[in-house]
Amino acid sequence: MALIRRRPLLLGLTFVLAIAVTFVFGFRAGAHARRIRRQNDPVRPWMSVPFIAHTHHVPSEILFQAIGVQPREHDRRPIRQIARAEKRPVADLVRDLENAIANARRNPQPNAPGKAP
Amino acid sequence: MREQILAALSQYGSPALFGVVTIAAIGVPLPITLLLIVTGSLAAQGMVSFWWAVGLATAGSVLGDQAGYAIGRWGGSRLVDRFSRLLGSRERLEKTQAQAREWGGPGIFFSRWLITALGPWVNLASGIAEYSWTRFLIWDVAGEFLGALIYILLGRVFSDSVITLDELLGDFSWAMVALLAAVLIGWKLFKK
Repeated sequence: MALIRRRPLLLGLTFVLAIAVTFVFGFRAGAHARRIRRQNDPVRPWMSVPFIAHTHHVPSEILFQAIGVQPREHDRRPIRQIARAEKRPVADLVRDLENAIANARRNPQPNAPGKAP
Repeated sequence: MREQILAALSQYGSPALFGVVTIAAIGVPLPITLLLIVTGSLAAQGMVSFWWAVGLATAGSVLGDQAGYAIGRWGGSRLVDRFSRLLGSRERLEKTQAQAREWGGPGIFFSRWLITALGPWVNLASGIAEYSWTRFLIWDVAGEFLGALIYILLGRVFSDSVITLDELLGDFSWAMVALLAAVLIGWKLFKK
């Protein structure tokens, strides 16, 4: 800091850099803000089936069915744990869930939860 | 680590929330913002009660903060040395100690929810500086409650976009830090 105070040129460059960083992160934050209402979160291995059903506005029964698991009340196991129990790769389950979500969106159920995708 | 924490929260709810926020408040770097946002989403799904989650997150954080304060105040120099090495360095602790004296209560309050990276340091520094425990507790509870309320509420409102929301808040914080730096440097540069 003492070095910066002694050299006005360095101070000026640091000022320009701080402004640039503000704009870069501000722009990125703006892009996320625009995306937040248009796009749902990607499916991640830590998510449970009911969690994915909520974030993508599809009934959880459809998703359980898509990965070949009997729907049970309060089944909040993460996808990674289901994959281990079913002896299947996590990527396979994620792909099946994404396909089921895409199908559900093409043929929406009349009583599907939440907002329209 | 992040994946395991979120998986535990999504599966077990409240006990996982309480455990993780307590450990994070002591000084272990964990993705607390995302954790609170996901908790908000779980509240929107009816898995946990909103106010129960806010109360539990506040209680866990305050408990962890009190542990940091207690180490600083009654832990002795050897324990403080070991703890500050765990968090980073002794120099950083000394810097935070000077700032803690200067900022006092508002410093404790804002480090709970706005500049959260400073939180564990402020706890330790407040203990070493023998800042009044009652005042520390009041500022601590107020700050942690506000932090938990803001992030859990945001998670409840944007319950279907928790990852995007976390990225948005992360970039927004960096933009604010850079803007603050620009204002301070600009002030030095142009005040003559």
